[in-house]
Amino acid sequence: MQRPGHDRPTNRHLSRRTMLQGTVGGALGLARMGHATLSARAAAPASPRKKLLLLFLSGGASQLETFDPKPDSKYGGPFRSIATSLPGVQIGELLPHTAKIMHRLAVIRSVNTGETSHFRGHYLLQSGRKVPGYPVLGSAVAKMLERPDDLLPGYVTMRRHHPQAYTDVGDAGFLGPKYEGVMIIDGNPPANIARPEAINAATASARDGIRQRSDARFLKGRAPEAIKSYSDSYRKADALMRRQDIFDLEQESAADRERYGDHHFGRNCLLARRLLEAGVNCVKVAHHDWDAHFENFHWQRQRCLEFDRTFVTLLDDFQDRGLLDETLVVIMGEMGRTPRINYYGGRDHWGDAWSMAFAGCGIKPGVVLGKTNDLGTEVVDGQVDAGDLFNTILVAMKLDPTATWRLGGRENPVADPAASVIKEVLA
Amino acid sequence: MPCRALHPTTVLAMTAVVTLPIGRAEERLPEQIDRIIEAACQRDGTKVAATSDDAEFVRRLYLDLVGVVPTAEETKAFLEDSSCDKRSQLVDTLLDRPEFALQMARVFDAILIERRIATIPSYDVEGSRWRDWLAASFRQNKPWDDLVREMLAGDGTDETNGAAAKFYLVRDVEPHLVARDVGRLMLGTDLQCAQCHDDPRIEAYRQADYYGQYAFVSRLKHFRDDEKKLNFVAERAEGDVSFTSAFTGMEGKTNPQLPGSEMIADPPLVEDKEYKIKPEKGRMGVPSYSRRARLAEFLPRRETRGFSRNIANRIWAVMLGRGLVHPLDMHHPDNPPSHPELLQRLAERLEHTDYDIPRLLRDIALTRTYQRSSRLPCAGKESCVPDASRFAVAALRPLSPEQLGWSVLQVTGRLPSRIERAEREMKEEDASPADLRWQVHKKVYGDLQRELEPLFTVFSRLPGQPDNGFQPSVDQALFLLNSEQMIKFMNESVLLDRLSRLDKPDELADELYLAVLSRRPTDEERAEETELVKGACDQEQRHEVVRQIVWGQLLSAEFRLNH
Repeated sequence: MQRPGHDRPTNRHLSRRTMLQGTVGGALGLARMGHATLSARAAAPASPRKKLLLLFLSGGASQLETFDPKPDSKYGGPFRSIATSLPGVQIGELLPHTAKIMHRLAVIRSVNTGETSHFRGHYLLQSGRKVPGYPVLGSAVAKMLERPDDLLPGYVTMRRHHPQAYTDVGDAGFLGPKYEGVMIIDGNPPANIARPEAINAATASARDGIRQRSDARFLKGRAPEAIKSYSDSYRKADALMRRQDIFDLEQESAADRERYGDHHFGRNCLLARRLLEAGVNCVKVAHHDWDAHFENFHWQRQRCLEFDRTFVTLLDDFQDRGLLDETLVVIMGEMGRTPRINYYGGRDHWGDAWSMAFAGCGIKPGVVLGKTNDLGTEVVDGQVDAGDLFNTILVAMKLDPTATWRLGGRENPVADPAASVIKEVLA
Repeated sequence: MPCRALHPTTVLAMTAVVTLPIGRAEERLPEQIDRIIEAACQRDGTKVAATSDDAEFVRRLYLDLVGVVPTAEETKAFLEDSSCDKRSQLVDTLLDRPEFALQMARVFDAILIERRIATIPSYDVEGSRWRDWLAASFRQNKPWDDLVREMLAGDGTDETNGAAAKFYLVRDVEPHLVARDVGRLMLGTDLQCAQCHDDPRIEAYRQADYYGQYAFVSRLKHFRDDEKKLNFVAERAEGDVSFTSAFTGMEGKTNPQLPGSEMIADPPLVEDKEYKIKPEKGRMGVPSYSRRARLAEFLPRRETRGFSRNIANRIWAVMLGRGLVHPLDMHHPDNPPSHPELLQRLAERLEHTDYDIPRLLRDIALTRTYQRSSRLPCAGKESCVPDASRFAVAALRPLSPEQLGWSVLQVTGRLPSRIERAEREMKEEDASPADLRWQVHKKVYGDLQRELEPLFTVFSRLPGQPDNGFQPSVDQALFLLNSEQMIKFMNESVLLDRLSRLDKPDELADELYLAVLSRRPTDEERAEETELVKGACDQEQRHEVVRQIVWGQLLSAEFRLNH
């Protein structure tokens, strides 16, 4: 029998629906949409604008080796759990630095998305939807925060060059290519950002003069919108060429490069700091290779070793520089890993009961929400899904999740109207 | 010879004999189109723009029908042609050219594949094979209903039409995705929201409709022949569809059903006779009864709600830049067509001509509506920009990635010089002149395609997303300004060599504007070019100045847009 795979109502959903049915009866659907006619464009972002940093643990980190250890259970694995700065709360021993700043995080141990495909999981966790076509967090937030005089890109995304990077083009969904993240692959600046030697400065400027004069003439007597938005793309290209330095890590001190770590994730996190300070609103950094079907414990240790120090360095820096008050930091992947340990000492794909964490603006620090059972095979309290996370992220950033995208003649709710805001983790 | 202004179709009526039955004999379709559009404008007081000048028309028509701007010679020849029916002549000439089928293949590739890439790209039909199949289909003027039938019926095993299975394969043969896109692209209705609940916004889209459509394809899955490295669309003999509403908890069960049609019951399954070929490891099964075959049989028919209307609306959008129903996949009662009677006429026209797409394109190309200028009727005032849905002024439409790429190669001279060379080299081959022309163009466009891929990638809209209008992005601007590909195109430019050898400044300005912008320069522009070139004291400097001008014009909105 075929069933729509996403129909997995949580208690939270059921109670919400029951409540709605009780109040508006038959007009349920329409009433739910009633409040959502405000278009996202009209939702003026709070001033000053918040920023988003998404640290994406790609491949799926093991919740059991990170935020939800079960050292005494049959699935617990070889690592111990350790005390944290939050009295009574323990996390995996692979995150000793993180343990010391747990009082600054909000951790959710009860994520249930049911999704075990990397591709679908990447999309689901970033868009809060199963249905394809919606923009991911970075694109959606960049669009909601956009102001007409912005010159730098609203969203920058960093990953390595690898076929299994899982996300690629198409992240902006129906918002279109303008809201696609500027891609930093293997730390390289965006393509074609530097003027090549074959074009000298005089040529470039003469060429630009020809273009501008031509556009001014073409504009006369014609509808201006397309012509102006095209010239605008050159204005922004020019701004980006002038600010190439924001992608240049050489301009950061050797000490900082050392502190963040001489690896992909470390360098990208330092670059993220640089970009956010320069005025980019959303940055995503992918941390790869958590997908440990073989020798899980070796791999989780390797990954945690990189993640732990870099993450805490970054959070400390953001705090010291005043960035944390205006930046929401989200730590999640597309899934967790099975409690059961397979024949190869690996843990496999798992969506039913796993963990993620928040820090920064809008977040209530020192919260640990939700609970899994003793084996870690099921959520027993505080269950949330991807739609709830998406709603919550928007609210933490002072954005309106009930706004709608009014695009191409249709109204699309920015966040899934069937999902909820997780109030427990919000300040 | 002075030329009186005649309605293009009047000219057509005098010169051509139309033999096929047409909806209303007394009024031809182009006249109907203009009557409906102009009456609507008159009713709401919208001023319509003047008729395009010949230069506007020739560039627009080339881009729309053969996918590339005209060469300087072609433009000049058209501008200097004094015959009264030169516009309708050009329409017929272009429809007859080999590039027409190639352009239609690109247009329908974008419509049907929507720039998707299969999750595992090697588990799909190669893009070139698929486009070759489309081009061959348009070259033989395959009716749209046949084309759809072949796409839906194909499992990839057929020798001639195997490539048609790309429609399924590029979507990973994922039933939900396939069901949604069959609805969007072939019937004009997006049932995405109905997938999880009865969409509260669009009451006409019922969840049961969606699952009725889904039931046709729910048994499909991808089959890979690892030995031959080929991909097919397999189908199971069993599997039922039921659904639950996320909002109401209401449940339903359904068999295959197209919106507005009867539900199709399966024949009873006979044990041990479920499959014609039993699926085994390494062997694809073929069920005795195929729901997909039913989809291919029942969907592409005029009786299926939305089938004719959808394609009529899409063809209109190909020529006018916007659908009568817009967005194109949102046919529903709350989003009525801007001109309901017109959509009806276009759909009927297709039904009466066996879904003949070139014929409909021709009818549209001959209208005043298509031939309007992009200059506003009340120049200079932003407030007088009429709503796009009035079709009162020619839209400023971005060139598709392919139109842009091929036009760059046309302007810089690489494309025409390669065609000339291929014509010389292939002259000896044993083929009719028409076949030879087809072979030449297919080869040259095929050979040069790879050079343009980086440009196509940067300028493509996002996979699976409908065209949301013009969204110029920074990476596109950076590509045109700085990329090694653009440097190469300019370095290899035949045009620059030719232009920088022209001594007379006037001649240079004329040639340059004809080549790049498909028109003659104004006096102001001629003076500007002359001034720029005057500063160059030797051949090398002159070459550099010409390079700056050509490149600058390639960056201009006038070049980037189909106006």
